[in-house]
Amino acid sequence: MGNPILSDDGVGLYVAERLRATTLPDGVDVRQSEVAGLRLLELLRGYDKVVIVDALQSGREAGEVVRYEARDFTGGHRYSSAHSIGLETALELGRTLGYDMPSDVTVFAVEAVDVETFAEELSPPVAEAAERVIALVRAEVGAA
Amino acid sequence: MKKVTVDPITRLEGHGKIEIFVNDAGEVANVYFQIPELRGFERFCVGRPVEELARITPRICGVCPEAHHMAASKAIDAVYGVTPAPTGVKLRELLYNTFFVTDHATHFYVLAGPDFVVGPTADPAERNILGVIHKVGLETGGAVIKARAEAAELISIIGGKQIHPVCGLPGGVSKALSAEERDRAVEITASHVEFAKFSLQLFDDIVLGNNDYVDLIKSDAFTHSTYYMGLVDDNNHVNFYDGKVRVTGPDGAELLKFEGKDYLEHLAEHVEPYSYLVYPYLKAVGWKGFVDGKDSGVYRASPLSRLNAADGMATPLAQAEYERYFSTLGGKPVHATLATHWARLVEMLYAAERAHELATDPDIINPDVRTLPTGIVGEGVGVVEAPRGTLYHHYKTDDQGMVTNVNLIVGTTNNNASISMSLKKAAEGLIKGGTEIGEGTLNMIEMAFRAYDPCFGCATHALPGEMPLEVTVKKERTQEVVTTVRRYL
Repeated sequence: MGNPILSDDGVGLYVAERLRATTLPDGVDVRQSEVAGLRLLELLRGYDKVVIVDALQSGREAGEVVRYEARDFTGGHRYSSAHSIGLETALELGRTLGYDMPSDVTVFAVEAVDVETFAEELSPPVAEAAERVIALVRAEVGAA
Repeated sequence: MKKVTVDPITRLEGHGKIEIFVNDAGEVANVYFQIPELRGFERFCVGRPVEELARITPRICGVCPEAHHMAASKAIDAVYGVTPAPTGVKLRELLYNTFFVTDHATHFYVLAGPDFVVGPTADPAERNILGVIHKVGLETGGAVIKARAEAAELISIIGGKQIHPVCGLPGGVSKALSAEERDRAVEITASHVEFAKFSLQLFDDIVLGNNDYVDLIKSDAFTHSTYYMGLVDDNNHVNFYDGKVRVTGPDGAELLKFEGKDYLEHLAEHVEPYSYLVYPYLKAVGWKGFVDGKDSGVYRASPLSRLNAADGMATPLAQAEYERYFSTLGGKPVHATLATHWARLVEMLYAAERAHELATDPDIINPDVRTLPTGIVGEGVGVVEAPRGTLYHHYKTDDQGMVTNVNLIVGTTNNNASISMSLKKAAEGLIKGGTEIGEGTLNMIEMAFRAYDPCFGCATHALPGEMPLEVTVKKERTQEVVTTVRRYL
């Protein structure tokens, strides 16, 4: 996930692009999405397992890679936002409506330096982290 | 009063920040509203072929890319001095109205719905789309998802991509509609008309049928008498894709009606030292501060504004709803900010009806969808109504069509001054000396802000995707923090 013209916000899309060029096991699809919220629901339906890569700003060291399981998002923060809904709410909404939502959702988040400047390049720590994430995702989906 | 300097570090955190200052008596002295600004968009576009901007600008916003795509396509037509092929225009308009249906539906059910359907002071854990479905039932929830999914399908058919349409080209669109695709479009748009009617009924039952909500909508805390802006066709009916910009006053009289390309003659920007936001205002009236009234150049652009600025809707069912809306709320213009949510549903019905009109027009499958440009003017303005307000794209190029300058006024920018005013008024109405400032109070203040459905999408990208917001109440004299409420931080 991400935005291709907001510097480090494009890291997820970059990783997906690179993954596409590798050999992946059968049944693994690589998708790129530039939106979040309710539109996520439509993208995730029908899959058993989903691995998401995205940028993060949380005060960590630039380039740090954090792994979340979808259950890590639950508890408390389900406010109505001014503009969208989050991953966890989308998942729960899908389940509530009886849709076939993935039971296994993993997120690899890369701590970004800059997600506000219009640019198509990643900053060096994030570009470096992207390499690590590519390997992590491949391992996660059982690629050799 | 002490001058407030906003720490620029907040800009890097990527969240919205509302600061409420209270005096010693516990009453609201002032409210400041901050959103970080995106940097360098103009720089980023310079040197690129102008037709690429129709694919780049949608990426400013992940929620309304279609609006940017349309404004860009129109600006690019103007840069090349080409009148787009009529069927190309119809296809753009069909896509665009379908987008309005889904976008307005999303806002109402997911973003506004929780306040009205579940209740503004309800437990936050319930005050979201899940709480809404709990209240209205799974069937309704399913209907919302279906409407969105079908809209996405139709947008994809015409636009080429589900999320960011790529069909707009100088002089028209890239692809004609097949008869089969048209049949699907007829089905989907008919279904959307029913969905829009259903949503208005729901609003009637749940919101208008509840006296507390009606009182809230009509309350002074959520009312501002400003000027109103919206695009209208030659009959002064609301049109999202094209028309002239019309501005009406707090008394309902028409102040201005201008071609989009002349926007700089009528709009100017005011700047404040504490904020990165710009505050557009009407030159004809002048900047008089963050105040209401006929003598203040502050104006609003939103569903509320569009209904005020127009004389009616171009489709029959929506027109009937338009009349009912105004007669219920006491005539034109309506100044109650929260009525925006109702106005949004009236617009949704128009969008669905209009899309259906276009889908059933025999000309919609005409293969002639593009007129090739034969020259270049080098400058163009494209104006559309984005769901959140009038959207202006202004481009300048060299004689090869390479971009030299870009200026954008996005929907929400029009409302920057009013949002600040709405926040302040809501805070004043709700926070008095001795008020226990809890989460419920702060949510109600946020409701004033949420009615504008502010679009600061990209600047607020946070995992897992909500817009982080921090509302802080401070003592004016000492700057001491009384309480802070954070969302997603």
